Amino acid sequence: MTTDFQDAHERHWSDAEFLFQESRWANADHLYGIAAECGLKRLMIAFGMPFDSKNDMPKDRQDRTHIDIIQKRYETYRSGNLGGVGYELPDPGAFDDWNASQRYEPRGNFDRKRTEAHRKGAEDVRYLVQHARKEGLL
Amino acid sequence: MATFDRILPEVSEILEDFRTELASIDWLLINRDLNGRVRIIAPAVASDGEARRTLDGIAEKLKRRIGPRAYSVENAVLYEDDYEAACEGASLSPLKGFENITIADRLPTAGDWASIAPEASGAPLVVFFSVKGGVGRSTALAASALSLAQNDKKVLVLDLDLASPGLSSALLPEDRRPKYGIVDWLVEDLVGDGDPVFDEIFATSELSRDGEIFVVPAHGRDPGEYISKLGRAWMSVIGSDGKREGWPKRLRRLIDGLKKALLPDIVLIDARAGIDDLSSTCVTDLGAKLVLLFALDDDQTWSGYRILFRHWRLASVAEEIRERLQLVGAMTPETERDEYLEKMREASYELFAGELYDAIPPGEPIEDRWNFEESDEAAPHTPWPIRRNQGFAALRSLRGRLAEIDESEIVLIFGPLIEELRALVEEQNADE
Repeated sequence: MTTDFQDAHERHWSDAEFLFQESRWANADHLYGIAAECGLKRLMIAFGMPFDSKNDMPKDRQDRTHIDIIQKRYETYRSGNLGGVGYELPDPGAFDDWNASQRYEPRGNFDRKRTEAHRKGAEDVRYLVQHARKEGLL
Repeated sequence: MATFDRILPEVSEILEDFRTELASIDWLLINRDLNGRVRIIAPAVASDGEARRTLDGIAEKLKRRIGPRAYSVENAVLYEDDYEAACEGASLSPLKGFENITIADRLPTAGDWASIAPEASGAPLVVFFSVKGGVGRSTALAASALSLAQNDKKVLVLDLDLASPGLSSALLPEDRRPKYGIVDWLVEDLVGDGDPVFDEIFATSELSRDGEIFVVPAHGRDPGEYISKLGRAWMSVIGSDGKREGWPKRLRRLIDGLKKALLPDIVLIDARAGIDDLSSTCVTDLGAKLVLLFALDDDQTWSGYRILFRHWRLASVAEEIRERLQLVGAMTPETERDEYLEKMREASYELFAGELYDAIPPGEPIEDRWNFEESDEAAPHTPWPIRRNQGFAALRSLRGRLAEIDESEIVLIFGPLIEELRALVEEQNADE
């Protein structure tokens, strides 16, 4: 298998949208988190995140995490980089209350409001990925 | 080899080959990214069928013709649902010969010279600009401010030559300088804390006896870590709604605030010399009523203004800015002055007529066209003359000089400029 963060970002976003339209909040919420994580990891590579091509993963263990951590790691690479001007994410991050282990929780614990907040967070990342393509960063 | 300047001619030729097919696509952007590489941005509905084949065909030709300035075919076209979103952050200009195709330029700076803000309401804003330095621009501004204030006017002066600050020292003695300056406000505003600084970024000059001169310097009494602050002044602010406010808009917000707080009759802005980001903001983003183009009759001056005027013409924004422009003949010599001004007007006319004035086709009336005779005294190409004066040559001694000089001498040197600025204020007051 080959890692393609950009493609993964796009397909997770599309599937999340599909589930969101069907009011499948729990899995939509999960996929918005994964979509945002993949988009940010693609941008982090553009901002200089070391990537281990041999093992097909980020070199630093801290960069192999999910969106609740990655949204902070993203800033580590973005903020020190001249090319990162204009790629800020809102503070506080949209995924502070998201965790990958929530995929084991019952569906009743998820609702529209919670999912919408994470949808907005993923949308912000999506905008940055699209913007990066227009600017030639990706 | 396809250099940057070859991009648009090559793109136009390629698109010409697909003219018929392109007519069925609502809009296209020719996107030149930060590195000067080209992508096409097209509506999402064009991502399959005949339209997709057309766009892939264009992408193939682009790759062949402009090589490293194009992307691989599979990466060459971006599809966007919404035209407005596709255009966001880009400087736009039409692609000649194609009504549905626009060039979207992405620059790493905010100063693209082509986004012309409409005239700001309220007190007229006058920008003092020159393509080269050392032509007496700041001196003329200080003298104008003094003369207007002596005529009982309230004048707001901003030193926006941030990379080479100095105007404020001509108008304010050391002990009157405010605690902060424009750069301090720009940096504090980045963290949402500009208000406390705002109240201490201006001071009144003691030179004026009747009216008032409010001076807003680039930095405060103590410049502090000026270079570290200046390097951050150009940042954008992201609002709580996620919207980006670029630094030109932030500066505009500051000036609007100063106008509201101080109620000046006129605002005079000292812009940075040369074609750079900061001068672009002063000339095009602040809603100037009048842009004074300081000039010497030399090749460097004319070729600099030609680059600028041509950019406005090619970006199809000349009509938005040209009526606000006025040439100023800086440092005109004492001897053979009339001949010097005559030669300057000839060169200036050639420049304005070639780049900004409407062409008059043979046999057509001039009435609705924006065009002037070379000899027209009221034309923007006819220089408002400022006399060379040794006493004003060095800004270092300017404050002392301004304190001693009498009004008649200022009028002798800067007369036409000051008269026009006074008229501008009267006109504004009459309108109100």
